[in-house]
Amino acid sequence: MKQQNNLSILLKGILRENPVFVLILGTCPTLATTTSVVSAIGMGLATMAVLICSNIFISLLRKLIPDEVRIPCYIVVIAGFVTLVQMFMHAYLPAMYEMLGVYLALITVNCIILGRAEMFAGKNTVGKAALDGIGMGIGFVLALLSISTIREVLGNGSFAGIALPFFSTHKISVMTQAPGGMLVYGIMIAVVNKITNGKAIKKKEFSCAGCPTASTCHGGCATEAKEDK
Amino acid sequence: MKYIKCILSLTLICAVIAVMLAAANYITAPVIAQNESSAANDALLVVMPDGTDFTAVDLAEYELPASVVEAYTEASGGVVVKLNATGLSPNMIIMVGVSADGTVTGATCISSEETYGYEKTYGENVTGATIDTIDTIDTVSGATKTTGGYRSAVRDALNAAIILGGGEAAKTEEEIFAENLAAALPEADGFTSVFMLDTIEGIEGAYSANNGVGYVICVNDKFIATDANGKVISEGITTEEKAVATSAVATILSWVLTPVDITAYADMPEAVLAAYITESGNYVLELKASGYGINGDKYSKSGEYIYIKVSVTPAGKIIACETTSQKETDGFGAACGEPSFYSQFNGKTADTYGEVDGVSGATVTTKGYMTAISRVFEAVTVLTGGANNETAE
Repeated sequence: MKQQNNLSILLKGILRENPVFVLILGTCPTLATTTSVVSAIGMGLATMAVLICSNIFISLLRKLIPDEVRIPCYIVVIAGFVTLVQMFMHAYLPAMYEMLGVYLALITVNCIILGRAEMFAGKNTVGKAALDGIGMGIGFVLALLSISTIREVLGNGSFAGIALPFFSTHKISVMTQAPGGMLVYGIMIAVVNKITNGKAIKKKEFSCAGCPTASTCHGGCATEAKEDK
Repeated sequence: MKYIKCILSLTLICAVIAVMLAAANYITAPVIAQNESSAANDALLVVMPDGTDFTAVDLAEYELPASVVEAYTEASGGVVVKLNATGLSPNMIIMVGVSADGTVTGATCISSEETYGYEKTYGENVTGATIDTIDTIDTVSGATKTTGGYRSAVRDALNAAIILGGGEAAKTEEEIFAENLAAALPEADGFTSVFMLDTIEGIEGAYSANNGVGYVICVNDKFIATDANGKVISEGITTEEKAVATSAVATILSWVLTPVDITAYADMPEAVLAAYITESGNYVLELKASGYGINGDKYSKSGEYIYIKVSVTPAGKIIACETTSQKETDGFGAACGEPSFYSQFNGKTADTYGEVDGVSGATVTTKGYMTAISRVFEAVTVLTGGANNETAE
């Protein structure tokens, strides 16, 4: 991996390597919590907090963690921070805690967090890992915010619970349901792809070398895919 | 060595995370507990706005009505009760606040599976009720089962408040009546109201023991027990009351029904299935009524008729009426099988039978029943030699 400057690390997660629109990670919470802007922001910030903390923690311990048990170690760290976020949200933001429900606990298995731990935090310094967590977290929040804005405005006729003129009387109910989520998600991916001119998804970091299972797969899946074609 | 390093690393990370979680739990647990307590109190305040310092009651220490699932006392002596009531469906969860003086301060339905939503607003009707007035509050027509179940739950809440305050639960009129019957003749294994074939002067009702050990005759608000042969067992009654009870049982035992061949009467209404005549010349008719079950081809809920037994004088005055079987809709038409409905026809004639109250929320059932009763008067006209087939409708 070539050296990246700090600003580049911070900014890449926002658009060029946006975890939702470019890496296509964290699809489950993206679709589930974007029916309203408030829940999307809540989920985005909770995930961002876990991402930053786990990135820092994993980067701190990267030289102590043996390669053979790194995935269990990452999972323990991520699950621990998710539980921390759950506890504090339950105590100080109970309404948000109720709103996010089971999806809060499911942050543990959010591919973005494990992916960044494996691809970046486990290989970089604490400072860069923190910047990566912040950048990817902001990218995740912005992605959820953009999708939820479209879904809530069109599907529910409101923004953050505030009714909007015209939209509140012309609701497109399917937008708050699963098909509407998939539709908006797909359109947003296409838009981001157009803006980045298709370059984002060609980066090496997202090829076999950047895959979390690269050490065991050795490009086998890519070979199989070619043979299938 | 390699494996030991793996084990130690993972163990160390787990230990560090566990310490972090323990610290977080230490900070957040009291806040979470306070939040939950506050949320529970908010729900209690909905039904008792002036309540303070709610304390959960240990239900195991009291014998409360079975529908009570939670109870809370508050500082001024009021009680909030959470109940699991049954309306048209089970699991209608209701919260009821009862003030220290036994008045309902508020009632609300937290969750239910009812169909029309009347349970969401019926709480307003019962607010201000007491144990003495709760049964006088009307149910909602069209939602008899839902609102009846709701009212019953509020009665349970009022009783629970009395019990929690150290008193005894109030009994319904039916429970008091059943207790009086049982107290009069303890050997009896339940009672059945005697179907009167003739008017017996001086008595308010007659009940036979299900196990045949005797009768209880109601005279001057007293419950007078006799043995199976009519010998009075009860004590502390006047000679006149004793004579009335003895005579009543003798009359009941003397009743003999002689079948009447209804096929001999060409104008006999089809609804009449059988007819009998007593020695005093009264008639007993068995009829079928087309309720919700049988009403042309439009309804087919049960496919069953309502069967009715009526005793009537030759002059056309109903002595007694009873629904012997029915399969109308539970919560609606099925009320035609209740004594509170069919006993309304006692003493009615062709001119007055229309005055009775119909079954709430069961227009088809009521209409079919009333039509069958009108056939009683037609049948009597036919049996007594008249040729008038005109119904009272």
